[in-house]
Amino acid sequence: MAKLNVKPTRMELLNLKRRLKSANRGHKLLKDKQDGLMQKFMEIIREAKTMRREVESKLGGAFKNFMFASSMMHPAMLETALLYPSATTELEVETKNVMSVHIPYFKIKQEGDILNYGYLQTSAELDTALKSFQDVFLLLIKLAEIEKQAERLAVELETTRRRVNALEYKMIPDIKETLKFISMKLAEQERSTIVGVMAIKAMIEAQEEA
Amino acid sequence: MNNKFKIAIVGNKDSILGFKALGLDTYNANDATEATAVLYEIKKKEVVDDERLGEARPAYAVIFIIEDLAMKISEEDYKNLSEDALPAIVPVPSPKGTSGYGLKRIGKMVERAVGSDIFGDK
Repeated sequence: MAKLNVKPTRMELLNLKRRLKSANRGHKLLKDKQDGLMQKFMEIIREAKTMRREVESKLGGAFKNFMFASSMMHPAMLETALLYPSATTELEVETKNVMSVHIPYFKIKQEGDILNYGYLQTSAELDTALKSFQDVFLLLIKLAEIEKQAERLAVELETTRRRVNALEYKMIPDIKETLKFISMKLAEQERSTIVGVMAIKAMIEAQEEA
Repeated sequence: MNNKFKIAIVGNKDSILGFKALGLDTYNANDATEATAVLYEIKKKEVVDDERLGEARPAYAVIFIIEDLAMKISEEDYKNLSEDALPAIVPVPSPKGTSGYGLKRIGKMVERAVGSDIFGDK
């Protein structure tokens, strides 16, 4: 730990004492924030993990259905069938404040029919495939929400952790060491003055006696 | 306030065709450089709700991206793209099946937040 570069004066001593006090308070607050964030983060990350697994397996199924469908049909036909979707999907976003991190919540708004094509030129498999996509899609949005929340929290946690550590292992020890240095120096000065005064007094007394 | 956002998906044509029917905006990209360019473009798109206030917000809330492409996007680009609250960029497995990239991403988040991946599979 390095001592701060300050002059050993009473003024600095007072200043540093004040700084130590606010550093301690800041450290406590940040630590509390870190704990709060961590609690929420753990909750979310567990959910994200199970969700991710579920989505990935289900999406695999949906893609398989779609593969079947596309192999049954002429590629150009398939493309025309899906060229102008009548379904529209929109999201409403709300944010919630967790420990001063704004995390998003999505609400999905879907309109129109996804099966929007002539039945004559398309296969029945396409219907199933699109329906399975539709099912997975709701989960996907949920997953997006949770992962984004986790990401936001992770970033905030990282900076908070760094701040806490900087205070705990750098700033506070440094200030403490400097405080000790200054008070030692001041005490030393005091002793040296007293000794000086005593010596002078002894000299004067010796002169008077002579 | 009008609070409607759109959803986009980025990937090669075969993977994203199915999502198109659901009403998502599809963007075609065949390799990572193309995908990066497309992502920046999507991110830049904004909607102005009230002309007088002139407040703009991103047009897209969620951007799905096919895993194969997401894996190859450089860390720096990814960081720039995902730093804001919106949009959320979410990798989804390609028709070829999952590569475990999504779970790895979650592991990375844990690592970032906690300091080490405490849920990592041994």
